[in-house]
Amino acid sequence: MDFDFSLIAHSLPLLLWGAVMTIKITFLSVILGIMIGVLVGIARISEVKVLRYTATLYVDFVRGTPLLVQIFMVYFALPILIGLKLDPFLAAILACGINSGAYVAEIIRAGIQAVDKGQMEAGRSLGLSWRQAMTYIILPQALKKVIPPLGNEVISLLKDSSLVSVIGFEELTRSGQLVIARTYGSVEIWLSVALIYLAMTFTIARVVAYVEKKGVVS
Amino acid sequence: MIKVEHLEKAYGNNVILKNINLQIEKGEVVVIIGPSGSGKSTLLRCLNYLEEPSSGAVYFAGEKIDACNLDTLRRDIGMVFQKFNLFPHMTVLENITLAPQKLKKVSPQVARDNALQLLQKVGLETKSAAYPEQLSGGQQQRVAIARALAMQPKVMLFDEPTSALDPEMVGEVLNVITTLAKEGMTMVIVTHEMNFARQVADRILFVADGGILESGSPEEVFDHPQQERTKAFLSKVL
Repeated sequence: MDFDFSLIAHSLPLLLWGAVMTIKITFLSVILGIMIGVLVGIARISEVKVLRYTATLYVDFVRGTPLLVQIFMVYFALPILIGLKLDPFLAAILACGINSGAYVAEIIRAGIQAVDKGQMEAGRSLGLSWRQAMTYIILPQALKKVIPPLGNEVISLLKDSSLVSVIGFEELTRSGQLVIARTYGSVEIWLSVALIYLAMTFTIARVVAYVEKKGVVS
Repeated sequence: MIKVEHLEKAYGNNVILKNINLQIEKGEVVVIIGPSGSGKSTLLRCLNYLEEPSSGAVYFAGEKIDACNLDTLRRDIGMVFQKFNLFPHMTVLENITLAPQKLKKVSPQVARDNALQLLQKVGLETKSAAYPEQLSGGQQQRVAIARALAMQPKVMLFDEPTSALDPEMVGEVLNVITTLAKEGMTMVIVTHEMNFARQVADRILFVADGGILESGSPEEVFDHPQQERTKAFLSKVL
């Protein structure tokens, strides 16, 4: 076969548009995931049983089921169950955010538990409440520890966001499919798509490494 | 100042402390000695409920400690740990000013002035901007003492304050504690430093096997111990 570079050049604007959408989805899902993850991560080690069990149930369910099924549930099942009809963009963010929240929760929980027990005791012995000690003493130390695993989570979420192509949201993978449907250039286009993903994940990995290094120095 | 009634502490079937009764007066310096694993530290940690007693009660300034008044009462009970437990992400100054600012709503300026005064007292006035990891163990422990003092506690608890220190740094920490004793601070100290115990204590408690086996002035306990268990322990450590 002939490798058609002009096909790549012609399709690039469309693919890059898809890549922008992928970044958008990843970014918003990560924000949602971190908000959920911090709350659930703290709830996982709470002394309140109801909170702890609910958080554990959520984490187990999300981590024990495929993201693809979760996307279908949000997009196809939610409208029937509670009449909530989301457009593909919102459904994608919701599904990815909820999914990511469970993994972030485990990262945050591990980060909190990696902080020496004496830190909480020292805070409490001064008279700080559990919540104050958590806010001023434990979380600042835990968040520093979770930067590397959190970076990995962003990278896997960026890759996994390709799954939302199945509900027709036009991100990078879906853009690739659409281009191929018109041009039959499977080799050229899938290679381009892969390289664009690689460029994005590589960039994130470098940024995280930089932040981590800088965080250690300061 | 502190009263302990029928205090018991057990983890499952493992009984650490049984039927502890104790009264500590204002201005008194009580030193707890005894073999490792005897329950000394657990007893100390029960006084500010870092360990919750399995049964019995602890009264502080006449008030029974429970889950509701715990945070408030702890403000008046300073604690110094074996491993210092300074907050590594904060400077020395921030370590000391955090609690007064958050709990007593002291202004940053006043909190800072107080902290600098306390640092002077423990001989570290030049270290206010340093981070804990930049300090030696002895310096960290002195900062920890200043941090506890910043809440102007009515009583100070010391949990083996020199056990994690290199030998040459023990003296500087013990000097600070001795100064506090002379100023009339009420203190409860768990320590393995027998000379220091004898010198600083108004009363020595010998704790072994989960109970207070002997209690008295340093002369009584060190020079004329009544119990065989006390004699055996002292013959090993003195």
